[in-house]
Amino acid sequence: MSRGPIGVGGPIVSGKGLRRRGLARIRRLAVYAGPYRWRLIGAIAAMFGVLGCTLSLPLLMKSAIDSAIIPRDTHLLVIIGGIVIAVGVVGLFLSRAETYLTGWVGERILTDLRGDLFAHMQSLSMSYFERQRTGILISRLTNDVEALQQLVTDGLTSTVRNVLTLVVAGTILMFLDFRLALATLVVFPLMAAMTYFFRGQSARAYRLMRSRLALVTAALQEDLNGIRVIQAYRREQRSRAALADLNQSYRDANKTTVTSSGWYFPSVEFLAAVATCVVFGYGGSLFVDGSIEIGVLVAFIGYLASFFDPVQQLSQVYNTFLAGTAALDKIFDVMDDAPTLVDAPAAAALPAITGAVRFEHVRFGYNPERPVITDLDLDVRAGQTVALVGHTGAGKSTIIKLLARFYDPQAGRILIDGHDVRGVTVESLRDQIAIVPQEGFLFNGTIRDNIAFGDPEASFDRVEAAAREVGADRFIAELPDGYETRVQERGGRLSIGQRQLIAFARALLVDPRLLILDEATSSVDIQTEAHIEEALQRLLADRTAFVVAHRLSTIRNADLIVVLEHGAVVEAGSHDELLALDGRYRGLYGDWAEAVAR
Amino acid sequence: MDPTNLELTSGAEQRNVFWPTIRRAVSLMRAHRVALWSSIGLAIGAQVFTIAIPWATGRVVDEAMQPRDLGQLRYLIILILCLAAARFTVMYLRRLIAGTMAINIEQDLRNLLYHHLLSLSFPFFDRNQTGQLMSRATVDLSALRLFLGYGLLFFTQHIVTVVAVMTVLLWMNPLVALLVLVIVPPLVVLAVRYSRVSQPVVTESQQALAQVTTQAEESVVGIRVIKAFGQEDREVQRFRDRSNDVFDWNITATRLRARYVPVMDFLPTISLALLIIIGGWQVIDGGMSLGDFVTYGLLVALIVMPLRMLGMWIGETQRFVASAIRIFAILDSAPEIVDAPAAVALPAGGGAIGFHDVTFGYDPGRPIVRGIDLEIAAGSTVAIIGRTGSGKTTLTQLVPRFYDVQQGSVTVEGVDIRRLRLDELRGAIGTVAEDTYLFSASIRDNIAFGRPDASPADVRRAAERAQAAGFIEELPDGYETLVGERGLTLSGGQRQRLAIARALILDPRILILDDATASVDASTESRIRRALEEVMQHRTTLIIAHRLSTIALADRIVVIDDGRIAADGTHDELIGTSDVYREIHDHGLVDRRFVDADGDHVVIPAGQDREDGA
Repeated sequence: MSRGPIGVGGPIVSGKGLRRRGLARIRRLAVYAGPYRWRLIGAIAAMFGVLGCTLSLPLLMKSAIDSAIIPRDTHLLVIIGGIVIAVGVVGLFLSRAETYLTGWVGERILTDLRGDLFAHMQSLSMSYFERQRTGILISRLTNDVEALQQLVTDGLTSTVRNVLTLVVAGTILMFLDFRLALATLVVFPLMAAMTYFFRGQSARAYRLMRSRLALVTAALQEDLNGIRVIQAYRREQRSRAALADLNQSYRDANKTTVTSSGWYFPSVEFLAAVATCVVFGYGGSLFVDGSIEIGVLVAFIGYLASFFDPVQQLSQVYNTFLAGTAALDKIFDVMDDAPTLVDAPAAAALPAITGAVRFEHVRFGYNPERPVITDLDLDVRAGQTVALVGHTGAGKSTIIKLLARFYDPQAGRILIDGHDVRGVTVESLRDQIAIVPQEGFLFNGTIRDNIAFGDPEASFDRVEAAAREVGADRFIAELPDGYETRVQERGGRLSIGQRQLIAFARALLVDPRLLILDEATSSVDIQTEAHIEEALQRLLADRTAFVVAHRLSTIRNADLIVVLEHGAVVEAGSHDELLALDGRYRGLYGDWAEAVAR
Repeated sequence: MDPTNLELTSGAEQRNVFWPTIRRAVSLMRAHRVALWSSIGLAIGAQVFTIAIPWATGRVVDEAMQPRDLGQLRYLIILILCLAAARFTVMYLRRLIAGTMAINIEQDLRNLLYHHLLSLSFPFFDRNQTGQLMSRATVDLSALRLFLGYGLLFFTQHIVTVVAVMTVLLWMNPLVALLVLVIVPPLVVLAVRYSRVSQPVVTESQQALAQVTTQAEESVVGIRVIKAFGQEDREVQRFRDRSNDVFDWNITATRLRARYVPVMDFLPTISLALLIIIGGWQVIDGGMSLGDFVTYGLLVALIVMPLRMLGMWIGETQRFVASAIRIFAILDSAPEIVDAPAAVALPAGGGAIGFHDVTFGYDPGRPIVRGIDLEIAAGSTVAIIGRTGSGKTTLTQLVPRFYDVQQGSVTVEGVDIRRLRLDELRGAIGTVAEDTYLFSASIRDNIAFGRPDASPADVRRAAERAQAAGFIEELPDGYETLVGERGLTLSGGQRQRLAIARALILDPRILILDDATASVDASTESRIRRALEEVMQHRTTLIIAHRLSTIALADRIVVIDDGRIAADGTHDELIGTSDVYREIHDHGLVDRRFVDADGDHVVIPAGQDREDGA
């Protein structure tokens, strides 16, 4: 519940379209039950058995009255009592089997679905992740699967069981006495109408309530995250008032559910009593006629409950059904998104590379109508360090994403050692490239796990060597458990600079021929800065490197500085060459020099 | 218990506080006692009618059917209809009153908890993370709300039902009643035990699920690294393993359910069998009428559900108490930083600040700043520099009284800030921190955060002075663009400029800039700097910075090292006298970044505005 609010209370489309789509989705979900069909069949068989046992009890009561008590047959009475116990015991074991099997199959389906969803997400291209908000994607794997859990473990079984109960109990009533059954069922249309009305009302109320609750939770979460700003700016009163308003609107939404269930459930009970009276009124005259026995009347009263309870329960399952199918829709939408980057049919493994890179007339835009890279030509020799320089939106990050084949260009081609990156397998390509993103992202686990992320089999010596090489060993040694220290969620316990050093070590460990580095922009203190510069020199040596550069030292040391503007190269050369050129680079450098000189 | 520790308490501790916690929880109901008692009264009334219907059914058998008396039958049918109508009315009222009461209680609880949370001070939020507090405000609150809103009422109602039915049965025929009621004790015991054994399993399953959630988050946020290192398969395997842990715990829970619930369903069947044999025998013997026999059957069915629910509520009580303990722990955490009883108004002035022998540490045993003595004249600009962890930020956080000093005092306008009205003190100070938090609201609302009544012109002027107006006007919706967690993602430099505008709009006497321009590039920084020069003129400013260019704005530089003042003076003085300053100046503070971390360009990622469609 403490998760992000995004996607929790999203609108649930209602109406016929949804229902039809809902059924199609459930059919698709049923595919997941395939491998477990025998267990499922067992569960359904057990369910039938349990139903038979439960529904035979009023019949046994009828026999006890009509065949034993009234004819004063005590022997038969004991036998019937024994049968009741026997039926109960059989029901007990069948019910155990049903509970276990339905629970097992339901949980298994969900676990499989969750795993497949995750696997599918992992296979999707970077473009997908950049298009979607992280909160929504996380919500698919968590909130939506949980909403589905309600449907699978609760909703579906309860629906099947209740529908079966209705059908079987109705049949038994017909079989007991056709006329009386028809007479009793006169209340049924009224009941159905009421239920239909209530269902619509409560579904609306439920949606409203869920979305308002999501708002309350989101607002509180945001206030807690920003509590320091709130207090610094003395906004406590306003925030309180805003929360109280949201609470009030949530309460008002709740009120509609109270009102709708307030009239519905007592009405159902009242109708049940009316049905009892019909049984007595009409049944009584039939009994006086001598056309039925008294036990039949008692059995009828008994079955009425089996008839009215399922209707009530079905009305309540409806909300679960709505929420579940909506979640299912969202989940399958994700699973229907095909990865846009797949290996070409004839893709070969990229042989060991030296690291020469060529961009030939490359054009690319996240939206093909609006190219970010217009016509890029770039020739980089193996072992060179390339610093990409330019304003935000100039296309620096896009170039490195294309190189790592997170995206494919719309025109032109990218060659590594003469191989078009589209012609080789993604796996063999990424095996020879290491990427260091801006933010030193750390996974839950130990420092060692994080350094060895690219090669989980790496020996401890290699991990240590990589850490030493980038100078991370100094602070790691000071941590309580050294390399075995668990980094808190998202590396909360390490400073920004330390996280960057870990990310460097992670890249160094796989010893790539081609390194892609997105330099972090946030400032760190002087000592750490010195360590990072030192580490960078080691990292960039002896391999081809593309760097989105912000550090002067990195840029100065680069073999090739590429100044970008609106997706095109405006200047390229070494630091000295570009200064001599007296162009864009010189202007940027001047700004900096002026700032420093002050 | 320690009110600041919101972690789960041990079983023993829980037992000691069990009844006091229940009493305290119930005392929260005081405002709703009329509704509670009338619901209980109505619930009892409804039960009377509910019991009367099976009784009337028995009468139908005895007085109308067997004597074949249609007149009496008509009379009894009308009686049943009347009883049903009465029950309908009473139940309807009960549901309305009790339902309204339950949601009112929930509203009260939420308001109580939320209001209290917002009044707590920084140290509380340092100790307790948002995720943890959210779990208190959702999971625990929901448990407590169920207990108070429904638990007490249902508990009373079920007890009344069970006692009333048992009384009626015993009164009608003690022998049969005793035989039929043998199932009551085992049913209750089973229900209680089931709740108790399944509780830990449910907790384990939730923890396993939390692991799944963590990995889901991690895999989405860290997808770039995963893909870059080609570790998708391993991540998928880890995720499947964790999902399987959840599966295992849920199956354990299912197994428990399969063990207990069918037995609880079976017990009433024993009653039915005993009723058929013993009751039937008595009917044949003439010791019991057939109508009573039918009534018995219906009444026994009537108490099965209440008995199970009673057992369940008893079993769940522990969980409610655990939740209540955690919520009360929050409610018992007193705000640490509040107005003194005789707090005085902030005197007029230009924002003079004084630190007098100030010592403070987040953990009192480990002081971060020690014995700081510093007088800052009204209207002056002071740069505070030093290494990470030297105590710069901590020192500035003492001025708005985010924390209280452990020793010494901080004064503003010559008055100890602990004697000033907090509201006025903080209202006179504008702070800009390095990690800027923006709310999910429009840019306008974010800038006007501390002055919600500010005019659009004021907002624009503040944005202009913070060099933010340029990029804001480039945005599709300008000042109305939604930012924050649920809005457009801005770059670090853009967020910082909004935070500066947010501080400037207050026109504060004291301005605190904590590395406020760390994420902007040299060109933007130089423009902000010019703007700052202008806005600093009539106020006292504390600047924490790494860049020499920013430091140059200050009249005076204070070097902090290891929580103490290592040097204090102007640039020219320090360069000659302070080794520490000279070293920093020569080797560190020269700006090492020069080109654009953040131009004025706004990049709106494709599909960012895509809604979370159903």
